[in-house]
Amino acid sequence: MTTPPMVSIRDFRLVRQTRGGTLLVLDDVSFDVADREFVAIVGPSGCGKTTLLKSIDGLIPRTSGEIAVNGTVVDRPGPDRGFVFQMDSLFPWRTVLANIRLGLEARSGDRATKNRTARDLAALVGLQGFEDHYPHQLSGGMRQRVNVARALAVDPQVLLMDEPFSSLDAQTREVLQEELLRIWSERSKTVIFVTHQIDEAAYLADRVIVLSARPGRVRASIPIELPRPRTLELKRTPEFIAIVDRIWQEIELNDSGRAARDADETQEARVNHA
Amino acid sequence: MTDARTDVASPRLAGGRGEPSPPVRARKPWWHRIGLTTSRRRALISLLIGVAIWEFVARVLVDGSLFFVPLTDVVRAGYDLTLTGELQHHAWVSFQEFFYGLLLAVLVGVPLGMAVGISTRVRDYVQPWISGFYSTPLIALAPLFILWLGIGIVSKVAVVFAMALFPITINTTAGIKNTDQDLIDVARAFGYSRTDIFRKVLLPSALSFIVTGFRLAVGRGIVAVVVAEFFGSRGGLGYLILVSSQSFAMDRLLLAVLLLAFTGVIGIGLVGRLERRLAPWREDMTV
Repeated sequence: MTTPPMVSIRDFRLVRQTRGGTLLVLDDVSFDVADREFVAIVGPSGCGKTTLLKSIDGLIPRTSGEIAVNGTVVDRPGPDRGFVFQMDSLFPWRTVLANIRLGLEARSGDRATKNRTARDLAALVGLQGFEDHYPHQLSGGMRQRVNVARALAVDPQVLLMDEPFSSLDAQTREVLQEELLRIWSERSKTVIFVTHQIDEAAYLADRVIVLSARPGRVRASIPIELPRPRTLELKRTPEFIAIVDRIWQEIELNDSGRAARDADETQEARVNHA
Repeated sequence: MTDARTDVASPRLAGGRGEPSPPVRARKPWWHRIGLTTSRRRALISLLIGVAIWEFVARVLVDGSLFFVPLTDVVRAGYDLTLTGELQHHAWVSFQEFFYGLLLAVLVGVPLGMAVGISTRVRDYVQPWISGFYSTPLIALAPLFILWLGIGIVSKVAVVFAMALFPITINTTAGIKNTDQDLIDVARAFGYSRTDIFRKVLLPSALSFIVTGFRLAVGRGIVAVVVAEFFGSRGGLGYLILVSSQSFAMDRLLLAVLLLAFTGVIGIGLVGRLERRLAPWREDMTV
């Protein structure tokens, strides 16, 4: 890559103080994300995926190493990054429009413009007609649409997504994956997407980064060379299944990780043979 | 999947329980049109049954107006006392004591509860006192308040204040503490200042708890007014109860009790209205 990276992570290390002593959560994590690249991060439960993502947003103070976004070192949340939380975390006392407007309210500018921006984003995520509804009147999928729109409203360069679709049923999740790809191509953002679902990572991303079990280290960085635009049919092709298999193998190497144990019995048998 | 947006229903469908339902039934019964909804009708029936039982017990089962009188006698007593202006006077005295006491409790209790909820330091200093006072039957100190502050309005306001303060403070603290950490994180991720987090996250989140505190305070405040008046007063509904019981005027005694019950119902109704105004997103919540 000749252009400077949008996100650059160098020797990142994170230690957390717990009651039982110190816990090394992330160790020696280094990777770059190019401008407009879609990177997915996968790894066993508890490997620090979410912690890494929150560190990129500046929500968690670093221990050592460095994270830079667009050349600037991260030490707090900034308008160049938008965070999509795992639980939709919508404000129950705010309507859809007011929820989307949330991030804009921390900035200067007149209310009418902010409302127009929020309205545009509601339309972008397919929620026109629902602007005045309250979150409890929406389905889980619609709430996640609001969650995504809220992060996009501040027009960040980097979109950080923390397992945003994990609480949804399989069908809704696939719909939203497709929608996300559409939005990503329309708005040309850099996306870092944390997930525990391998097929989701392979379907969405240009590149999948596999973290090891705690302490989280970068185990592999796998480019996904599948043509775009991608449709849901892609998931049924042998090429796609081969890529998913390849990522699984990388995760399995962490024999202590929970993901390996969660994998089906054929994989367990393979480990036994080895 | 045939529809790419299966998770998005049509706006009408998603309107949910909060929106007025379309006219499915062609005609509503006539009593609906005069504002008598099903639940109001049930409440009315229940009250009428209660009144009937009261009349029956007082006229047939209980012998002697020393112990119990029928509701009709109470209503007559109310009419007589209204004509002389006594009833209005007593009600007004009690209302003032109640109102100022409650107002003070809100003005002190809400900020205090917030401070305890936000600052660990304030909590460490204040919490032992709150815990101690909340579990103490403060009403037992009413005679002391009368002794210190006289038999006028000030002592009653003080008793109401003492009784209403703690439910308001404790509920406000609970509301602040109960704020979803995720929502605070969202605000932080958007770069909100601490002031803005308080104003736009903690405060609205705590609002329904605070209103619940008001509701409890209304009930305790009414008890406080009456008991404080028992211990020394020149007027008020509690005073009316006291002198009526001493002269065995059962009709006046019951009249005052009924009025207090009515005040409680109205007060809690007003708090409920306040709640719907402050927290409209909860309007169509069902349990």
